Amino acid sequence: MNEERYILFDEYLQGELKIEAKNDFEKQLVEDPEFASQFETFKNIQFQLDNKFGFEQERQAFKDNLSQIAEKHFDNKPKVIGLKPWYLAVAASVAVLFGLFFFNYNQNPVYGDYNNPEHASFTERSTADETLKQAEKAYNHKTYNKAIPLFETILQKNKTAEIQFFYGVSLLEESHYIKAEAVFNELKAGNSAYKEKAVWYLALSKLKQKDYEGCKKILETISEDYEGYDQVEELLHQLD
Amino acid sequence: MSKTKVHPDQKYIDGLAANDSTVIQSIYKKYVPKVVMFIMNNSGDRDHAQDVIQEVLILLFNQAKANSLQLTCPFDAYFFLLCKRKWLNELKKTSNKGVTIIEDAVSINESALELIGQTEEFDEKQQLFDTMFQKLGDKCKELLKLSFEIKSMEEVAEKLNVTYGYVRKKKSLCVGQLTQWIQEAKNFNSLKNN
Repeated sequence: MNEERYILFDEYLQGELKIEAKNDFEKQLVEDPEFASQFETFKNIQFQLDNKFGFEQERQAFKDNLSQIAEKHFDNKPKVIGLKPWYLAVAASVAVLFGLFFFNYNQNPVYGDYNNPEHASFTERSTADETLKQAEKAYNHKTYNKAIPLFETILQKNKTAEIQFFYGVSLLEESHYIKAEAVFNELKAGNSAYKEKAVWYLALSKLKQKDYEGCKKILETISEDYEGYDQVEELLHQLD
Repeated sequence: MSKTKVHPDQKYIDGLAANDSTVIQSIYKKYVPKVVMFIMNNSGDRDHAQDVIQEVLILLFNQAKANSLQLTCPFDAYFFLLCKRKWLNELKKTSNKGVTIIEDAVSINESALELIGQTEEFDEKQQLFDTMFQKLGDKCKELLKLSFEIKSMEEVAEKLNVTYGYVRKKKSLCVGQLTQWIQEAKNFNSLKNN
């Protein structure tokens, strides 16, 4: 191995060569194709190393997020049962919609029609700690005032987007609007899987406060790719 | 490289690079089912499809991070073909039956093909690099990892408890070793291909 040559390459790339040595180096690049080709490879490897280690954490975060989304995508399809409550919810909403349409022209949509809190299931996945189990139970029993302090304890130790989301929903259920919106806004600013859902809940918060204009404005920012876009469209239609 | 206009679907590439869940979810929603169908119709199952898709998306993340991915065609065709070709190559490796990749040339435009070529080249280069990197001794691996994570060679020296001069020299030699191996592999490949 031509040790001196590689040391020289590095010095050149670091801009450490004196003007004369630098000129010699550049002259050699032009005149000696083998030298030039080696230097090209050397530079390329630096670039590859930079890519490999420079973004290692980001890459890991991307891979984790990707697996999560992929699992969800590939698991959801065959389970028809998992979709049932959703259909029921849509059917119920449609029924309500019809009711509103025919019998009560002037009534505005209400929070209760659109809020279908999803079932929390944190503890299935791992041997979760006691607080988490309690929080899950309280949440699923809709005793949100009990769930809130438990979520707060958990978030102090381990802040995940999932827990934040369910904490936000609990706050909204108990009508702690300012706190709830702060939580959803934080999720909205992040990049987790709950990003869009948080925006939807921000809109629901406005709806619950009967701020229809505010609700509409937020709904209009939700992209059509959001998994629950049917509901967004429906609510927008209602608000018009 | 030709100066073609960047396609609006570049948003998918940028979204992948930013690890934007909304974008990733919409890729799964819009473009993944077609790939799954294709793989399942070609001796694969859902698990195969899941793996191939994840590999391709990680590849796109890497290429986007290296700033060398400018989409000049619709994401749909580009992504589908990448997955398709990856799967067919996978089949080639595992079965003895020869698999020929027949491109339905009508549906593909030139810029998509060119772009796929670039991505596959990026993939090959990265794989070659990874193989060679694994061949290095542990000391080189650790030093290179630290050098490119921390970036300041003074700090690296401090961390490893050696002198600055030593880490600088050692780093050049480790990169040099990789240079030599990769250069040899390249020469070997060009001999083989001619």
